[in-house]
Amino acid sequence: MNAREINVSGTLVWYYYICPREVWLIGHQITADQDDANVSLGRFIQDYTYPRERKELAVGQSKMDVFRVTDEGLVIGEVKKSSKFKSSARMQLAFYLSELKQRGIEARGELRFPKEKRKEEVMLNEQTERELDKVCREILRILYLPAPPEPKKISFCRKCAYAEFCWS
Amino acid sequence: MKKTLYVFSSGELSRKDNTLFFETEEGRRFIPVEDTGEIMIFGELTVNKKLLEFLSIKEIVLHFFNYHGYYMGSFYPREHLNSGFMTLRQAEHYLDEERRLIIAKEFVRGAARNIRQVLKYYHGREKDVARQLNAIENLIAPIDECKDISTLMALEGNIRDHYYHAFDEIVGNPDFIFQERTRRPPKNYLNTLISFGNSLMYTICLSEIYKTHLDPRIGYLHSTNFRRFTLNLDLAEIFKPIIVDRLIFSLLGKKMITKESFDRVTEGIMMKEKARKCFVENLDEKLKTTIKHRDIGRPVSYRRLIRLELYKMEKHLMGEKEYQAFVARW
Ligand code: SF4
Repeated sequence: MNAREINVSGTLVWYYYICPREVWLIGHQITADQDDANVSLGRFIQDYTYPRERKELAVGQSKMDVFRVTDEGLVIGEVKKSSKFKSSARMQLAFYLSELKQRGIEARGELRFPKEKRKEEVMLNEQTERELDKVCREILRILYLPAPPEPKKISFCRKCAYAEFCWS
Repeated sequence: MKKTLYVFSSGELSRKDNTLFFETEEGRRFIPVEDTGEIMIFGELTVNKKLLEFLSIKEIVLHFFNYHGYYMGSFYPREHLNSGFMTLRQAEHYLDEERRLIIAKEFVRGAARNIRQVLKYYHGREKDVARQLNAIENLIAPIDECKDISTLMALEGNIRDHYYHAFDEIVGNPDFIFQERTRRPPKNYLNTLISFGNSLMYTICLSEIYKTHLDPRIGYLHSTNFRRFTLNLDLAEIFKPIIVDRLIFSLLGKKMITKESFDRVTEGIMMKEKARKCFVENLDEKLKTTIKHRDIGRPVSYRRLIRLELYKMEKHLMGEKEYQAFVARW
């Protein structure tokens, strides 16, 4: 793996909270089974995060929905089917916010769970930034491991496109 | 799971919008591309660049067989899954003699154990194969001791000799005696069937490799010259006994293939088209049948087992888990 390939992305942040093994696999371009009957990674992200027409903003490797532009700045975020993977989504969004901040753009984040009639603010405050920093370091640590972390059976495995890879 | 398309008639395969279009003298038909995993071509086929580009995008592998049913080659679209990491690991395990031997031995061991299962089955059905079974049992332990690839290859050849000599007893049909293993061209009916079945197995393994990050040109048992595909040959060793040979025994046992299924031609013996069709149809059925997988906890097809084998290889190369070949348990 060369240095150029090592890059923390929003996707990796998202997976970090679900399964560190998956972070390693994705980071090493060991892409999941493309014709997995349950789900492919791409479709999964699409279904869960972008269920409808939207305005997209691309920053670096990340894409996010623009909800509105206000006097205080941009409101970006994502619509999620459920709050099941909330901490994943929160930190992924926080990651996007920090990518924007690095480019001098002030923004706030919003997670929406229309089915549950809820939304949640994500702010880039000191605490989140500290956490984000920790997560990014942790992701890099995982990526530099010579072999992936061992698989652990979790409920996500059932839907995971790596399942046959992990459990064969 | 995507389907394998077998093309026996001659004609032209082309791209029409977003589907495949197949036109022959007998007729024309559209083939849904999303449904197709690989295409095996036995007839005379005309293709153009536009089609090949389309197949590349759709990640479909084409395998060509000549008029006599021998494998000629494959159109293997540029590797679509690429992991520099995996390629380096794969090469590393090839270049380091010791590491290469570890993998090669496991292929031989897996093949031998599956051969043993096949023989055990017929032994249980009162076929007199005890001598061969015994000989093979005695050759499994020495696999560990092999110090280099050539000794290992010799041992493997030895195992195979004993195995093939049990065929006459298993088949029990004077039309299909084994004599000796002959390849291009095979000199008798049984050898013709074995060659045909093995070729199909190689192409299926190749198609499965295409779905992983492995490079089919780097094999471990079969040495690599980077021009030919060899990893699929390695992998096929494990599955030939339990898929191809069992299929042959059953086709002969049910008289679905008889000596009338062959033509004698100047180059040797060839299967009639009807027999080839019968063979591939039954192979396809076999690949679709599922068995329960202990660790995955749900049924997986034989075809999927081949893929799982590749996943296990990848994990071995990654240094995660030592590769252990699949062994049938019945
Ligand atoms: S199958 Fe389970 S252990 Fe493997 S990557 Fe997916 S979630 Fe992680």
